[in-house]
Amino acid sequence: MRLQAALFFAACVSPAAAIYTDEVNHIDFHHALLGAPSPDSTFFLKPSTSSNASLLYTVSDKSILGAVNPRDGTLVWRHDLSRSASGPTGGAGILRGLDGNNAVVGAAGDYISSWGAQDGKLVWENKIAEGSVADLELLELEDASATASGRDTLALVSNGAGVVRRLDGDTGKTKWEYKDDGGDTPFQVSSSPTEVFYISLQSAMLKGYKIKVTSLDSLTGRQTRQHTLSSDADVTGPESVLFVGANTASPLIVWADKSQKSLKVNVIGSKQVNTVSIDNTSGQEIQQITVHAPHKLNALSHFLVLYRTNAGSWAEVYHVDLKSATVTKAYQLPFVSGESVVATSSIDANVYFTRITDSEAIVVSSASHGILGRWNLESPSSERASGAVAEVVAKGSSIAVRSAILRQSGDWELIRNGQIEWNRPEALVDAVAAAFVDSDAQEDLAHELEIEGHDSLHGAYIHRVKRHVRDLQHLPDWLKELPKRILGSILGDEVTNLDSFGVAKPVIVATRKGRVYALDTGKQGAVIWSVQAVETSSWNVKAILIELGEATIYPSDGSSITLDVSTGAIKSRSAPKDINIQSIATVENQVLAIQADGTPASSFDDSTGFLVTTSADGRVLGWAKSDNKVPVWEFVPPSGQKVIQAVARPAHDPVASIGKVLGNRSVLYKYLNSNLALVTAVDPKGHTAGFYLLDGVSGKVLHESIQIGVDANQPIASTISENWFAYSFYADSNDESAAKGYQLVVSELYESDIPNDRGPLGSAGNYSSIHGDSLPLPHVVSQSFVIAEPISHMAVTQTRQGITTRQLLCTLPSSNSIVGIPRPVLDPRRPVGRDPTSAEAEEGLFRYAPFLDFDGRWYLSHSRDVADIKTVLSQPTLLESTSLIFAFGGDVFGTRATPSQAFDVLGKSFSKLQLVLTVVALAVGVSFLAPMARKKQVNMLWKA
Amino acid sequence: MRLFLAAWLCHLAAASLTVSIPPSTLLPNPHSLPANTHATLTTKDRVLTASLTRSSTLVFSDVPSTGPSSYLLDIRSGEWVFAPYRVDVAADGTVLGVWETFRGNPWDNRGAEKYVVDVVGQTKTDVVIEAKVVGRKGFYEERAKFSPLSLVKNPMILLAIVALGITLGMPKLMENMDPEMRAEFEQHSRSSPITGATNSAMAGGGFDLAGWMAGTSPGPMADADAARGGATGRDTSGASRRRG
Repeated sequence: MRLQAALFFAACVSPAAAIYTDEVNHIDFHHALLGAPSPDSTFFLKPSTSSNASLLYTVSDKSILGAVNPRDGTLVWRHDLSRSASGPTGGAGILRGLDGNNAVVGAAGDYISSWGAQDGKLVWENKIAEGSVADLELLELEDASATASGRDTLALVSNGAGVVRRLDGDTGKTKWEYKDDGGDTPFQVSSSPTEVFYISLQSAMLKGYKIKVTSLDSLTGRQTRQHTLSSDADVTGPESVLFVGANTASPLIVWADKSQKSLKVNVIGSKQVNTVSIDNTSGQEIQQITVHAPHKLNALSHFLVLYRTNAGSWAEVYHVDLKSATVTKAYQLPFVSGESVVATSSIDANVYFTRITDSEAIVVSSASHGILGRWNLESPSSERASGAVAEVVAKGSSIAVRSAILRQSGDWELIRNGQIEWNRPEALVDAVAAAFVDSDAQEDLAHELEIEGHDSLHGAYIHRVKRHVRDLQHLPDWLKELPKRILGSILGDEVTNLDSFGVAKPVIVATRKGRVYALDTGKQGAVIWSVQAVETSSWNVKAILIELGEATIYPSDGSSITLDVSTGAIKSRSAPKDINIQSIATVENQVLAIQADGTPASSFDDSTGFLVTTSADGRVLGWAKSDNKVPVWEFVPPSGQKVIQAVARPAHDPVASIGKVLGNRSVLYKYLNSNLALVTAVDPKGHTAGFYLLDGVSGKVLHESIQIGVDANQPIASTISENWFAYSFYADSNDESAAKGYQLVVSELYESDIPNDRGPLGSAGNYSSIHGDSLPLPHVVSQSFVIAEPISHMAVTQTRQGITTRQLLCTLPSSNSIVGIPRPVLDPRRPVGRDPTSAEAEEGLFRYAPFLDFDGRWYLSHSRDVADIKTVLSQPTLLESTSLIFAFGGDVFGTRATPSQAFDVLGKSFSKLQLVLTVVALAVGVSFLAPMARKKQVNMLWKA
Repeated sequence: MRLFLAAWLCHLAAASLTVSIPPSTLLPNPHSLPANTHATLTTKDRVLTASLTRSSTLVFSDVPSTGPSSYLLDIRSGEWVFAPYRVDVAADGTVLGVWETFRGNPWDNRGAEKYVVDVVGQTKTDVVIEAKVVGRKGFYEERAKFSPLSLVKNPMILLAIVALGITLGMPKLMENMDPEMRAEFEQHSRSSPITGATNSAMAGGGFDLAGWMAGTSPGPMADADAARGGATGRDTSGASRRRG
């Protein structure tokens, strides 16, 4: 209870900077991302039989399974399957779902799980002892015993040999198992009401593969028959087989011959192979053949084959006669130049194909070639589409379609009847580096003022007059905007538009897949532009530096790319060098690449500059001017420990006050050394972690602290700012009397432990790290707190002058949120074991409690699920109260932090209406009372 | 194949720990918990995670058995705060006991016992414990709403209303007054020095402070007295006597 009281007190003391509900989506934005959707595992599905509403399900290339609301593109739920799978999942997972079944089954690597389709809660999960999941299918049984709740799952496990398992739909337990000992390559599974087909590839005598179809009894899993299709002339590997149908709606195995003259189609279960010739009238070579068939069990077994050439594409629709196991061509969709994608959807037994080209979307029925609906696309995308899924709704005779188009970059958009409803920038996932752009206008003005400052008085005057005359050209626009601005400021949410105060800054983001984005923090993170800078799958960007309207990106291979920040146009590139860059440093406008062994790639010529680097073998090195071979100093942690992280004070870290005023008006002087570096070293075997505070110039250890029982596999985060540093780790001692859990340690540095005393420095104005008397050691005050969750990354809010209280920004990976802990709560001078004296209370100190509970109002991400954040950036704005926050890594999240509340902004709580009403009421009162007063005065004169 | 199946079944039969979330006064409907609700078992060099199931339970199906260990059980679910637990597991994976624990306290400071194994060495059993919701995080600040009542409570507004009431209500009051009483009131109000000063200011176009200080012009009091004298027509001598 006392703890709660203390916490309550804490909440009272610290200025609460919580977000208001009406500020959500106004000052903050969040792109909840999945990653590039896998075209084979993306579908519309009605999660509940009672409702007609459907959701869009997908599993991405990052093995994140999610449900998206097709109406507005918001995420309903998601789960990262790769976290549960042991070992790398190797690309996209597999996801299967059925209409009317309230669960979807997903697999990634060795992990299969079934999730409630509506609420995203776990139904069952299974881990395969060895091997990984090659294919999944849901059994659609038409017999009476099949319950609506859980359909059984067929899983094909590949562990050298193929194993087919039937898993119970409600519990995930194995009902039967069939093991293929033939040494074939397991390929796919398919099902019919009575049988399960296991399709494998048997290597032929000379070369190529024969397709082997094994029929299994669906109730017992016993093999009933087996036959091979002679495909060895055409099939060279699993990628040569174009299509294997999942169920009776499309019981097909499709492959093409090598010359792409004919298509081979086998109806699963029969031994017969139908050969259909391809009518290539375009005269161009076919680049890609894709087969589109319905998934729904009761749908007609019609399918469409899309042939793509370099210039365009055409499609052919075929019908399957199940009794005779033959395939006949029904009709053809004509050749259209440009891109086109096809999606299949079905209503009851009817099958519809939606074809989306660059300019239009058309819907045809599988039965006849008549176009049922045609819509022109309003704003065609320039990006190539890689796939599409569609949902067709028939209303009487008219038809409506909504289709989700998957773009090559991974982005996807929903087009409803030709109109773009929403767009999900999925390619933003896996952002590796980001940087804020300082607006150009300010820089231009500063540049002009600099010219004036250096000119003669006369010249400066002329320059200034010219500048003002030049500025007049903006006057008409400004006047035109004026009424709108006044009206907007009265009716709008904010009293003043804060965009000109630096809260609307573009952010340049580079992703692992080689894309570069510019996001506008003033417009809810909207994408300003995006470019594919490099064709790669693992772009290891080390830094983005922004200067004079240009952003230069430095990846680890030593190359660089320069882009225009306003348009995204690539201005220049430099070729990669034969080095492996670990990080990028800037010393006086000079960009230095630091190699993996900690040595700078080139020397630097700044006598006042110095460099601290970490090397791959776990040491810290210090470098001085014009020597990139031999370090000035070297810090080697005690044996067993390895340096994992080193942090320095942020480049922009203004200190508003050099001392801390105590309750009795005496001052504790802060130990302010701009060359501090906090080094974290861990010993995974000995379970210790050392935190060393170094002076960057001399390499001298100013303070060290060794923590025992530390789990090095858990996240260890640290940060340093002003005269304090903080770090967090998981400690687990064998000693039963010690606490177990995550800890947050905060330390403050003072020049002396005595108020009004500067310790050894005395009245000295200067001190040196290397000359004369050695650098005085700081007086360190520390306190540690037990926290409920791990912290994976730490940062500190930055404001323009540093007057505003700072917040420690912590990324909480286990609850997917970002919390800003106010510094007054983390004051290591809080009294322990007693209540504060009146002097201490005046200072704002309150009783220490070992458990630090994160108050809900500290959560910058409030109720948002901000997943997989790797880095949090903070940027000062022109408003002292406000710091811009941008978090990236998985999701992208941005907000404005006001640690001491928005004291220099008229917020939404300022009622403009009330002000106007007051003025109006006063005016009415005056106009009403003025004649009365005048009359009274006149009367009085007469009476007197 | 049968051997494999047997191993599989055996694997499934390993002791499991199930945490169920019962309805409580704080959380009447546990099914409303978000899908990302999960529980973790943490000890040195090992973290196990379980996702929320449809039946509002969190199941650790196979607690690994690599030696006796003591786990910290956390449940995390958006705004909901759950009590942490201590879970002791024997070397063979049997759950020995589950107790409440207190963060920031010694690990041996155990709270209420949730489960303890009957006899050590007994066959493995599935352990089911109930989670306890201890609170709900409030993420948002309430914005003070504009209400006319708060306006009325403002002392400045109250003063203004009273002043307005007097200004408007006084003449009405005077009219309704008994004529005799009104006359008395008027006389009284005229005798008030402020009224007198106002009257003289209206009549003479300003009080001549400099003149009064020099003694060349009458002070405001004199004016008031004169008015009183004039109005009643008696007691003049008394007044002059007092002045003298």
